[in-house]
Amino acid sequence: MHFFRTGVAGLSALLGAAGQLTILAMIAAMLYEVVARYAFGAPTLWAFDISYMLNGSIIFLGAAYSLRKEAHVRIDFLSQKAPLRIQQLLNAAVYALLMAPVTGALTWVAASKALKAFQTGEVETVSPWAPLMWPFYAVIALGLLAFCLQFLLEALLYLRGEKIPGQTPDDHHCAPET
Amino acid sequence: MIPLLMFAALFALVFAGIPVAFSMMIVAVAFGYAVFGDMLFLQLYGPLLHTASNFVLAAIPLFIFMGAVLERSGIAKRLFHALQIWLGGLPGGLALSTIAMCAIFAAASGVVGAVEIVVGLMAIPAMRAAGYRNDLIAGTICAGGSLGTVIPPSVIVVVYASIAQLSIGQLFAASILPGVLMVAFFVGYVLLRSLRRPDDAPVLPTEGRALPTGQKLKITVTALVPPLLLIAMVLGSLLAGAASATEAAAVGAAGTLVLTCMFRELSFSMLRAALGVTLRITAMIMLIVAGGTMFTSIFAVTGGGGLVRDTVEMIGYGNAGLIAFLLLVVFFAGFVLDWVSIVLIFVPIFAPLVRSAGIDPVWFAMLVLVVIQTSYLTPPMAPSIFYLRSIAPKDMTYGHMYRGVLPFVAAQGLVLAALLAVPELATWLPSILVGL
Amino acid sequence: EWKMTAAVGEGSFLYQNFMERFAGNVETLTQGRMEIQPFGAGVLVPAFKTYEAVQEGIVEAGHSTPSYLVNQDPTNAIFASFPGGMSPEATLHWIYEGGGEKMLQDFRREEMGLHSLVVGIGTSEIMAHSNVEIKTVEDLKGVKYRTSGAFAAVMKDDFGGVPTVVPGNEIYTLLQRKGVDAIEWSTPGANISEGFHEVAPYMIMPGVHQPSFLWEVFVKQETWDALPADLQALVEAAAKLSTYEGYTRFGDADIKAMADFRQTKVQMVQMEHAESEKLREAGRNWARARAAELSEGGNARMQEVLDSYLAYQSSWAENSVYLVRDAAE
Ligand code: NA
Ligand code: NA
Repeated sequence: MHFFRTGVAGLSALLGAAGQLTILAMIAAMLYEVVARYAFGAPTLWAFDISYMLNGSIIFLGAAYSLRKEAHVRIDFLSQKAPLRIQQLLNAAVYALLMAPVTGALTWVAASKALKAFQTGEVETVSPWAPLMWPFYAVIALGLLAFCLQFLLEALLYLRGEKIPGQTPDDHHCAPET
Repeated sequence: MIPLLMFAALFALVFAGIPVAFSMMIVAVAFGYAVFGDMLFLQLYGPLLHTASNFVLAAIPLFIFMGAVLERSGIAKRLFHALQIWLGGLPGGLALSTIAMCAIFAAASGVVGAVEIVVGLMAIPAMRAAGYRNDLIAGTICAGGSLGTVIPPSVIVVVYASIAQLSIGQLFAASILPGVLMVAFFVGYVLLRSLRRPDDAPVLPTEGRALPTGQKLKITVTALVPPLLLIAMVLGSLLAGAASATEAAAVGAAGTLVLTCMFRELSFSMLRAALGVTLRITAMIMLIVAGGTMFTSIFAVTGGGGLVRDTVEMIGYGNAGLIAFLLLVVFFAGFVLDWVSIVLIFVPIFAPLVRSAGIDPVWFAMLVLVVIQTSYLTPPMAPSIFYLRSIAPKDMTYGHMYRGVLPFVAAQGLVLAALLAVPELATWLPSILVGL
Repeated sequence: EWKMTAAVGEGSFLYQNFMERFAGNVETLTQGRMEIQPFGAGVLVPAFKTYEAVQEGIVEAGHSTPSYLVNQDPTNAIFASFPGGMSPEATLHWIYEGGGEKMLQDFRREEMGLHSLVVGIGTSEIMAHSNVEIKTVEDLKGVKYRTSGAFAAVMKDDFGGVPTVVPGNEIYTLLQRKGVDAIEWSTPGANISEGFHEVAPYMIMPGVHQPSFLWEVFVKQETWDALPADLQALVEAAAKLSTYEGYTRFGDADIKAMADFRQTKVQMVQMEHAESEKLREAGRNWARARAAELSEGGNARMQEVLDSYLAYQSSWAENSVYLVRDAAE
């Protein structure tokens, strides 16, 4: 149990750190493209593919991290009227019985796509750069796996009454940040 | 019938307090199974990949990062001080400073919310010390905080453009005048109220503002130049066509880093905090986008498109009826849903209808964006009020907040009316920034 | 009943002219025995994943162009038309009379397990809406040109152009603000509503980079085999009817659009014949090189298809002089 908790939390944190570095990488890549195009008149062939792939990676590297940090918008003006225990049990049930299986199944699909792309050497469809697709697919699969495990961990925390829906212990700006 | 059940199920989950993104995924899975059976997850992986491979959406983390760094820098504090020096003497001067500050921040970054807290933390104590009425304080902060969406650059516009297949540059250009108009109406309301009832917003004593002109100018320049520079970089490079939205956002993000560095405010811990927030919000928004794409894809298969078309036909009154109906749907959805969900659920359904009715899609987008802006202020789901709540003093009640935002919602209504009456407000700027 | 997913967005000209037309023709000819429910790109399946989605069985039918498979297997470029390829009318003849469709069907069945039906053959595209005048291949040097596929390769390797990628909804803006020098998009009839001529002074022709294009509808081979023979025949007839109707609709829209273009300030630039022939030959050499590469790897299909295609093209070129042309000169 302890191993599960620290392992999942560690994986989410690790991917989260990778996601944060990816944000910096994206800024750098796009700046390079702007300079290359306007200062040197030589746009890169890869900027388009790289930017969407980095953005896609940010989403899935950050998925488990955002769940752990309770960053997802809840509309809780009604549900907050219910007793806390009920809220916790409901969230535990939805996360463990619905979201974990859903993200688990998506992980399976994503992993088989990544494997297939690796085996067939699939390349980007329309790009003249034609990069290999499997690294991008693999990041998505990995992110989904961590997401799935984090759902199980969150469910456990709700079940044991250690977490309150809508509240993050270590961060006070937890209102929907849009 | 099934499409309606999908909405019923969605609302049941959402109101039970399950995060919106996950509610949409669950409903998509439940109803999709009937259509796709074992193929379901293979199909639902499509919308996930579609979201992850969208070049247009790549601007979002960059705009969010810009806001997150700005929020943590000293730029806000200096700006508020400078604005107070100039506007403090006017009726309702502090409220005007607050609105001006929010507008400038809105033009320099793509998200609302975070900015509202930064501004609120400075403006609330100042306004209370000056004896402002609680409802005016609350209304000003909330309305100011909501400006980020209609003043470009804005993350909503990016998402909207990617769904409706419109140019981000054009939408940004189109939203400049409505944004300016909205600020003007907000300012107008504050001025009017302060003039008619001076006790609601007492004029500040002159001490603290009476500085030698040289010092005044110095404060103003150091405070105003950084945000104006950022605005010029992002909007300038975008509107001048030097860059696509994603590139412009990267220029802005890098520029923000350079500026905070120059003021010696960039630290490792600040950068980490900004990256952390950026990652969380990006994942949150994008997962709603992914969930919404799943939801609408199942909605379409179960015949949702036809249902909406039939309803629209039933209503009649041609294009006017169509526009009125669609905007009303958005307005009422805004009471209970957040903006990402609204855009994600309704725009894919509306965009083809609007196109085939021959309505200018850029103008329509502006109408929708103004209506969505009210959703920040309309209870019960009012993000602006949630933010305020997290920093408000104890004696500022919900009553104050709701009463306070009402006049500002009315001002938004006026902007909408102006847009309806004079479509050129939306279409003129894109047309002159465009064309040989 | 088939759910059919498209690789183009709902409401686009292509979607109406090829996809909805085919769905309509099937329903009419089969007298409602068979119904096809079309969905725009991205609704059920991302645009570039239509082939995969049908193979996996997510939807019964897909509607896409072999262009989207060129990076996976360049054989597709021959079917999709490529720089230096045949005129639209010659393509139509090769597909239906020269064995083209048969070869495409064999290719799809053997490589992907799909049954393919050609449902649309298009007219020539406009080579470029451009901020710079392009009359000779020299003029292509250093030009930032939004294009893809074989033409991107030919431009870059043979003529010193700079192919760039621009997302569809940003083309107009970037062309206007000179973020790119030139773009290619589609046929005159489709381009005119995009308004590129408002923002770029030159319109470069003829569209040798994409002299024609082809769209197909495909289902799993098992799905097709399960249809009764009479229904198969009716669906085939519907496909062919869609191709012919779509072709003339494209041509008609193009002529009207060209007339409208002439009323605008856009300057129409006809590349010199000898120069555009250089582009065409470079395009054919690109195809020959790809076919040779595949043959060396033990895959002779592209070579066979290309031989058939080029032979038909030469024959058409040599023997079509008898045809009356309505050209101005
Ligand atoms: Na903004
Ligand atoms: Na609301």
